[in-house]
Amino acid sequence: MNTHDPIVGRYVYVQCEGKTYRTYYEENGEGIPLVCLHTAGTDGRQYRHQLCDPDITANFRVIAFDMPWHGKSLPPSDYYLMEEEYKLTTRFYSEFIVAFCRALDLKKPVIMGQSMGGNVCLALALKYENEFSALIALEACDYSPGWWIDPLHHPHIHGGEVVATSVFGLMSPESPDEYRWETWWYYAQGGPGIFKGDLYFYSVDSDFRDQCHKISGKVPIFFLTGEYDFACTPEMTERTAEKVKNAECIIFSGGHFPTSEDPAKFKEVVSPVLKKIISLDPERRGQAAGLAGRSNLVELRSSGRSERPGEGRRVIDF
Amino acid sequence: MSNRYGSRKSFDLEWIERWARCVNDDRILPVIGRFFTGRFVLGVDETEYLIEVRGGKIQRIAEGLTTNDMGYEFALKAPSSAWAKFSQQIPPPMFNDIWAMAHPLHKQLVIEGNTLPFWQNLRALTRMLSLMRQV
Repeated sequence: MNTHDPIVGRYVYVQCEGKTYRTYYEENGEGIPLVCLHTAGTDGRQYRHQLCDPDITANFRVIAFDMPWHGKSLPPSDYYLMEEEYKLTTRFYSEFIVAFCRALDLKKPVIMGQSMGGNVCLALALKYENEFSALIALEACDYSPGWWIDPLHHPHIHGGEVVATSVFGLMSPESPDEYRWETWWYYAQGGPGIFKGDLYFYSVDSDFRDQCHKISGKVPIFFLTGEYDFACTPEMTERTAEKVKNAECIIFSGGHFPTSEDPAKFKEVVSPVLKKIISLDPERRGQAAGLAGRSNLVELRSSGRSERPGEGRRVIDF
Repeated sequence: MSNRYGSRKSFDLEWIERWARCVNDDRILPVIGRFFTGRFVLGVDETEYLIEVRGGKIQRIAEGLTTNDMGYEFALKAPSSAWAKFSQQIPPPMFNDIWAMAHPLHKQLVIEGNTLPFWQNLRALTRMLSLMRQV
């Protein structure tokens, strides 16, 4: 008897900034659309565990797509004629996410992104707040400097090995080796210069320090950051969340790639957030029962923000 | 930081020697470090240890540098307090990785010299340094 994952993969053509992008995505589940954004230089495989989790897919239509230039999605057909190196911009990134959701005719999806996918949630909240019902920003903050560096795309340096190794320490040493090295593998497989080009967005073009306070709070934003993240530290996330209306900040004992480096721990951390999103939008949940499992979340102190009394930073001990 | 992460270590030449033996006993480094040949400096406070590597194995360690050494490719310099955290079995956040320690946000470790061989051999170097956790 063969075993299959329940994930289904397809290609959709997405129009963005005058070009058409053949875009690969995978999905599973029913209910509230939950669109998942991968980290810099990798692809939607980082969400394979969530795509297969019946507790999540019972209530959410989980969709993970590969950005152009990543995974099974292609670069523009004339990429070999480009006169400057690949650089992801805030404008293209946020427009593409909106265009993808429209191409799939998704109504007010929830966005969950990690690292650069987390940071772009701030851009989405600033410019496209009417498009989404909630944002889950994993390992996100308003400014992540220090990563747009040439050694990550240099002809005398093995791109795959150095890209993957440069991010390995972002993971918690206590995450399972199997999944930490699986995450390393995803990084080792990116196209030349794509990780560095994504980091142009991450470290240069996405400085939201002076814009966070303009976010209206119409869309709830959940910030979740692991204590081993040295690119976006818990303090950086907390500082950002304090500036954003209708935000909640959760710090947990993990690293920068929670969905792939330790899926079991991530499930415990994210389940209360998903339950809250269902409670805000009960009509659109799937047909099956609510999220199973218990969480040992402990509320330690209130954030003091008046917008959401009683909700604040939470710390999880395992 | 709690005891969960372990205790402090001293970094004299005897400790470096124990670490070098650990590196040379490792069965993964000859595979991933096959092309790692060169000399680098491990700086602990004011002390410089010259580490000579050939094919992923350490051939020589020396405390201090002389003119006869004719230099080295790159140096990794950090206070002993940082190396002590790095070499604990479960290192605390921000000290679990040399790039974490060197990142402009944290500045616990300085990477000096020609950084090209540093980046070229990052995977083997990272493995090599992670074996400090077994010393």
